Amino acid sequence: MHRLRLALRLLRRESRSGELTLLTLALLIAVTGLTAASLFADRLQRAMSTQTAEFLAADLVIESADPVPADWLAKARHLGLKDAQTTEFSSMLIENNELLLASVKAVSSAYPLRGQLKINDAEHPAETVVSHGPAIGTVWLERRILSALKLKFGEQLTVGEKKLTISQILTYEPDQQGGFYSFSPRVMINAGDLEATQVIQPGSHVHRFFQFSGNEDALSAFRGFVKPQLNPSQRLLDIHEDRPELGSALTRAEQFLGLSSIIVVIIAGVAIAMAARRYSERHFDASALLRCLGCTQGEIFRLYCTQFAILGLVAGAFGCGFGWLLQEGLFLLLRSLLPAQSAGPGIASITFGISTGLTILFGFALPPILRLKRAPPLRVLRHELEPLPSSAWLVYGLALTIICALVWRYTGDAKMTAIVAGITLAALLLLALLIFGFLTAIRKVLPRMPLSWRFAWQGILRHRRASIGQILAFGITLAAILLSLMIRNELIDTWRQQLPENAPNHFALNIFPDQLTPFEQSLQDKGIKSSPFYPIVRGRLTHINQTPVQQIVTKGSQGDSATHRELSLTWSRDVPEENTLSAGSWWNHAEPGLVSVEQKLADSLKVKLGDRLVFNSGGRQFEATVANLRTLRWESMKPNFYMIFSPGTLEAFPYTLMTSFYLPEANKDALSALAKEFPAMSILEVDRILRQLQTLFEQLTQAVNYLFYLASLAALTVLFAAVYSTLDHRIHESALLRTFGASRRLLRKTQAIEFFCLGAISGFIGVLIAESLSYALYRQVMHIPSHLHRELWLTAPLASAAVVVVAGLWGLRRVINKPPLRVLREI
Amino acid sequence: MDIIVTENLSKSVTTSEGVLHILSSIDLRIKAGESVAITGESGSGKSTLIGLLAGLDTPSAGTILLDGRSLTKLDEDGRALVRNELIGFMFQSFQLLPGLTALENVMLPLELKGDYHAETHAREWLDRVGLAGRLTHTPKQLSGGEQQRVALARAFATRPRILFADEPTGNLDSQTGATVIDLLFDLNRENRTTLLLVTHDAALAGRCERAIRLAAGRQLCTD
Repeated sequence: MHRLRLALRLLRRESRSGELTLLTLALLIAVTGLTAASLFADRLQRAMSTQTAEFLAADLVIESADPVPADWLAKARHLGLKDAQTTEFSSMLIENNELLLASVKAVSSAYPLRGQLKINDAEHPAETVVSHGPAIGTVWLERRILSALKLKFGEQLTVGEKKLTISQILTYEPDQQGGFYSFSPRVMINAGDLEATQVIQPGSHVHRFFQFSGNEDALSAFRGFVKPQLNPSQRLLDIHEDRPELGSALTRAEQFLGLSSIIVVIIAGVAIAMAARRYSERHFDASALLRCLGCTQGEIFRLYCTQFAILGLVAGAFGCGFGWLLQEGLFLLLRSLLPAQSAGPGIASITFGISTGLTILFGFALPPILRLKRAPPLRVLRHELEPLPSSAWLVYGLALTIICALVWRYTGDAKMTAIVAGITLAALLLLALLIFGFLTAIRKVLPRMPLSWRFAWQGILRHRRASIGQILAFGITLAAILLSLMIRNELIDTWRQQLPENAPNHFALNIFPDQLTPFEQSLQDKGIKSSPFYPIVRGRLTHINQTPVQQIVTKGSQGDSATHRELSLTWSRDVPEENTLSAGSWWNHAEPGLVSVEQKLADSLKVKLGDRLVFNSGGRQFEATVANLRTLRWESMKPNFYMIFSPGTLEAFPYTLMTSFYLPEANKDALSALAKEFPAMSILEVDRILRQLQTLFEQLTQAVNYLFYLASLAALTVLFAAVYSTLDHRIHESALLRTFGASRRLLRKTQAIEFFCLGAISGFIGVLIAESLSYALYRQVMHIPSHLHRELWLTAPLASAAVVVVAGLWGLRRVINKPPLRVLREI
Repeated sequence: MDIIVTENLSKSVTTSEGVLHILSSIDLRIKAGESVAITGESGSGKSTLIGLLAGLDTPSAGTILLDGRSLTKLDEDGRALVRNELIGFMFQSFQLLPGLTALENVMLPLELKGDYHAETHAREWLDRVGLAGRLTHTPKQLSGGEQQRVALARAFATRPRILFADEPTGNLDSQTGATVIDLLFDLNRENRTTLLLVTHDAALAGRCERAIRLAAGRQLCTD
């Protein structure tokens, strides 16, 4: 007990004397940064999933052809989840001798659980936002149904056998599914009227969506309960699979959040390692004295460990507080972009901040503490005796294990962890050798250098091991921040390219071949430029190499989903824009019977080049051989296809055409004109979905920016602190040089050159590590094309040199300005 | 009764130029309460001898008995325990911890021994060496003589049975040195401590009851 009291007393005395300032600062930055990044990422992720849940109108959706068992709903309610149900089917509407195939959606009273509907009526052309569907006896529909069926607002529409009053025009529904090509205009009715329509008979083709919302634990428990019980006609919807254009953006943003946390971990680790090393070196005398006074090595080890643990807890608690404040501030800045009821910070993230701080502290500070306990007691008589350094395996092994564990914990991504750890370790070993070689070469040309340069390089060479350590430490910090910068720029560029201005925001579907020329002419007259027209044949994939597909696909997979419905099949002479061949080759002009398959679907269906696929369209079977596989960008908002056939394969089947085009908001009138001119054609307006996407990307960009600023701030502070931690011997040597008559100008120049060289080499090393890491991460994890960042090879070493020079000269200013004797006495 | 006994005590180190004998066959018998000076030229092995006797280093050959306990048979932790129980130190470079005040520096060995009244005892000792008014000063704020007086108070605070003093006046001017030495001998007499004092200074050695003279690692004579 009295040892604990002693540790506390020593800690109090040390903190008063300023010995702990640097270590405390490093720890504070570490915990503040980690807590802020962790809390912010956690909150943002939850806010984003709330936001993206809107795209499903719920947190979790089960799609099923038949009603789900009653005990599923009972279980959901027991877990405290809210539920809603929608039923979708196609129905032919007949009014005023006009026919129209509509997509009917019957919604229960709780729909939508997430997001809102937008409607307007005849009197109020402005949109109204509502959180419920139509009342019993009423129907909401898209405006174009009115013109197609010659109906007026307030009149009655017959759906099946039920007459319903048209009460609102539906302008937006959050969970509008992306299956654009089977799109027909929406009619929304109350689930209470469904039975009366008598549309749904046994065997009808119906999609039922059972929607749930609630807290994450309950959702996760429910997911676990339902998943094993799903039959082949049922599946769980997930934002990543069912809205791929959103999924990939979210995945990358989540990866960036993870990466930012890693960067803060690494920067904090470097800072703590340097501060702890300095602390240890400044305490060799104290440790030797304690041993001289009768302390055993074990007692000294426990004494310092206790002090570090207390320091870790106190700095950890303050760091958590500051981190919380910081993320609150960040969230406040982003508030206008985030959903109104965004999630609060998770308690787990707060406690995690302290435990992570302690883990990093001991992971990086343990080797210096171990060295401290080995300070020989004879040092009290012979000051030159120093304890042996801890084994390199222990120092780097421990640090690497801690970093790997934390990286894995933060990202849950084993691949990213392995890449970051592997490359960093290999780079460090290789670079340490390179720097060693470089410094040896410098030694040879030393005599030919001017005096100030010679003194500067001698300063670096005299403590060669320490200099290599410093260069690598600064290099890693810089690499971390440069990597963050590279990936941030890449993400923002990708998002910008994904949704360029004038991206197509309307799809025209069901254009009959004989209407193609007049339709093209009409678009041209209205000044609308469309993307190429694609013929569409509806068909189902039935066999792969004579095996029924149902025997091949895994339940719930993409392939499963694609083989349960009709696909839009097309043919094309050329590879469509934004499609890239990943295997095989494109066909020559006249080679009927070939098919090109989208890569991910091919993977899911285990389809290879040369496989023979059998399709069924309208009761007719046909076969095609897989000629190539393609990757494509689902998020491009252009017509995209799973299956593209070679010309001559599908022409005999009845087909319609589709295209996409950009129409600015101001020219919306052109749509009515088109609808009147081509009544059979359907127009899908995706501009609202695009706007949703744009808002999401804006939020992500802002979030990514703030995280980057946070990491940069931490890195800058750490770099300053790290430079400070290396100043002790420089102060001593500079004071001696002044005693021997070196002018202040010479000293200042020498110091500036020394720091410039250290900073510039570190900057160069930083860029080298960052480029290697980004190359591997882009290719292996984020799947973004990698390229060299030429501009950084000059700017990063210069910027790094500038920061190190400023920090170093600031730290050494007292050597220049105070009388040397006073400086020597103060050391 | 002999409190320090050495037999055939030797220390040698291997260098690139062969084996270097720092101390050879030292046989000593020092009685409890005796004051003994260890003298010799620079490099004669004085500091090595004191380091071995205090258990700060291990000999290459020979034995050391401190208060009947064989230091050579103990491991580092065992030697630390002996230091804790028996030994006090004074060093040429004072070895005060820079972050601690004078009071805290004196309290440190008492706290290590688990003395609940460490502060009271430390105050008394600082008062005894004439530094009652400098309790809260850190070493940087004290003169060399004052620092050595703090070290003196720290050395006697745990009432050690043996005090090793390595050139205690080596860093002080002659007048300040004389004051510190007077104080050292006064306290030594009062506490009946066994004093082993390493010094170049013949006059200072003369104040001890006897002197052991070393040259090139060998014991020349005992005066």
